Amino acid sequence: MSLKKSPIVENLRKTQMLDLMSKQKRVDGRAFNEYRPITIKLNPIQKANGSAEVSIGNTKVIAGVKIATGTPFPDTPDQGLLVVNAEFLPLSSPLIEPGPPDEDSIEVSRVVDRGIRESQMLDLNALVIETGKLVNCVFVDVDILNMDGNLFDVAFIAAALSLATAKFDKKIVKEDGTEETQKVSLPLRLIPVSVTSITIGDNIILDPTAEEDSVLDSRMTITFDEQGHICAGQKGGSVGLPVEQLFKIVSISKAKAEEILLMIKKVVENA
Amino acid sequence: MGELIAENGIRLDGRKLDELRPVKIEVGVIKNADGSAYIEFGNNKIVAAVYGPREAHPKHLSLPDKAFIRCRYHMSPFSTEERKPPQPTRREIEISLVLRRAMECAVFLEEYPRSIIDVYVEVLQSDGGSRCASITAVSAALADSGIAMHDLVVGCAVGKADDQIILDLSDKEDKEGQGDIPVAYMPNLDRITLLQFDGIFTEEEFKKAIELAIIGNKKVYEILRNALTEKYFKLGEEK
Amino acid sequence: MTVVRSKVLPGDLIGDVPPGPLPFNTYRVGNKLYSLKVGLAEVEDKEVKFIPLSGPYIPRVDDFVIGTVVDLNAFTWDVDINSLYMAHLPAQDVFGRNFSSVSNSLTEQFSVGDMMIAKIVTYDRTRDPLLTIREPGLGKVLRGEPVKLSSSKIPRLIGKKGSMAKIIESKTKTKLFIGQNGIIIVQGPPDGIVLAIRAIRLIEEKSHVASLTNMINELLSKEGV
Repeated sequence: MSLKKSPIVENLRKTQMLDLMSKQKRVDGRAFNEYRPITIKLNPIQKANGSAEVSIGNTKVIAGVKIATGTPFPDTPDQGLLVVNAEFLPLSSPLIEPGPPDEDSIEVSRVVDRGIRESQMLDLNALVIETGKLVNCVFVDVDILNMDGNLFDVAFIAAALSLATAKFDKKIVKEDGTEETQKVSLPLRLIPVSVTSITIGDNIILDPTAEEDSVLDSRMTITFDEQGHICAGQKGGSVGLPVEQLFKIVSISKAKAEEILLMIKKVVENA
Repeated sequence: MGELIAENGIRLDGRKLDELRPVKIEVGVIKNADGSAYIEFGNNKIVAAVYGPREAHPKHLSLPDKAFIRCRYHMSPFSTEERKPPQPTRREIEISLVLRRAMECAVFLEEYPRSIIDVYVEVLQSDGGSRCASITAVSAALADSGIAMHDLVVGCAVGKADDQIILDLSDKEDKEGQGDIPVAYMPNLDRITLLQFDGIFTEEEFKKAIELAIIGNKKVYEILRNALTEKYFKLGEEK
Repeated sequence: MTVVRSKVLPGDLIGDVPPGPLPFNTYRVGNKLYSLKVGLAEVEDKEVKFIPLSGPYIPRVDDFVIGTVVDLNAFTWDVDINSLYMAHLPAQDVFGRNFSSVSNSLTEQFSVGDMMIAKIVTYDRTRDPLLTIREPGLGKVLRGEPVKLSSSKIPRLIGKKGSMAKIIESKTKTKLFIGQNGIIIVQGPPDGIVLAIRAIRLIEEKSHVASLTNMINELLSKEGV
């Protein structure tokens, strides 16, 4: 699965975008810090322990969580396993051909994984069944179904939501000593949010479409926890990012993260 | 009767011997694709997308006088009871092959020489009979893309459990039954385009099974027709 | 003369095979005619018309097409015309017979990402289509908004003798450059462009509806510039 060549966005279109941008406008009429409509469907895959279908504009993904038991890593005997994986399905874009994941696909996978892991969304210590011997293993797999820019955020929201709403069977020893199987949630500490932006000259633009990506200078994805701490991030694009601009991006992204977090929490509460 | 079918001929999920699971089809679900469809067949949830006909890359794949179909059937890691690693397995590669052959029977390949038609199937949730459900979804996606086809192709399996011939096996019946025959069928041309079988059948039983498969396929065909009509002809009526 | 209209899916029976060549997108078995695609069939007496509702653009000689340059080498530009084949514009078409790859630079005329209105000069099943921009009205597209529409719906956008396109142009004060390959360039004032695109989208959705012309007229009268 690889984007063999970057999409040919017509020069006319690029000129139009840059022209509008100089007037502080975007092609689809959004403000620079505005996201496209976000739609969320929880639990579309009942066989999975947790799942979420998320769209931002035309970018659509489905994430599924599977929870199993296994042996912990030797260097972390007191922690459960968490593996986050994103696949660019060839059906999501005319530019992708079947094959092993390429660098773009792996980047999205690893950035989302780090965002979830470094924010300490899950209390991995609480996933231990027998220290050093048996732990819960949590797998999050994200299928990208339709690509139109900002894969990072859509994959992230879907992964976070499917983890936040996942349920699995856990053997509980009751007070009277008998064992019972209960359906429990994962040990959730917080819900993290990622915000992706691109820079075009002096302009900072959130939630870029695939078209807008074709004229970017630089791209940033930043993951925040619920207190607004920065947990993880990645710069993309091949143009150098001025330091002052980086700080502006952080501040704009942080404000946006708060907004998105509110929305996600409402969805989880109503689940 | 045994464990899968009760005395009164009712199966574990409440169905009669010749009853299909509920089927739902939606056409045009992947915006970037030339054609696409989503199907729910029992608890199977499958999305199919078509890109093409388009230039073949690498060029040596292309045939001088007709189109080349490339098919990828893949199951998502969260689609099965136990998580399945993302790398394609031998089973998925074989199913990709039989799916491709099933569609080659119907697509008018000579209409698009030197080009490639990419067919992608992703099983989001699997529940027995996914390859047959995939064929129906692929047909819908091909029709949606406007690729010339002599007929639509639908799929429906039959099998044997507790010595009874049954239609549309569930996951459990597939795993614990006595035989499994997935069938893909072109209803107007009355031809079979995919056929695999395992299990022990007498000649009589086999004939009965195939006849039942055709009846089941015709029912799936009606549902497919409705789904295509819904997308293409519903908005406004012809005078 | 009864006209029998039917909505057909691939494999559906349309009627008896008409005299003359088979309509596109149909096939025969014996003396019966069948559909190869989702579409509308119209049978009047012995005549059969078939309108597919989707499908790839198959190049035809003399078609006007709008494409984007995706690659170039010393002698040709590769032009994406949204078809199953890549089209090519030979450097000689632009620079003339005395073209020399040393003294003439291709990127000066068209670079990757530029759009052009061109005509298909040659095409057959064994070779990619070749383009020309040597006729009046052809050449690089310098301004306007590109819009995509399924190539099977372009006839509806053009209308009988160009009537549909003309109505849209006059009521939105825009100029439409329509490629048979399903790419359209809309030029004009920003409001006009937005309305023209709405009209095009309406045609996309309702191309199979007989009262489409009325719907377009209604939309344009209500909101025309």
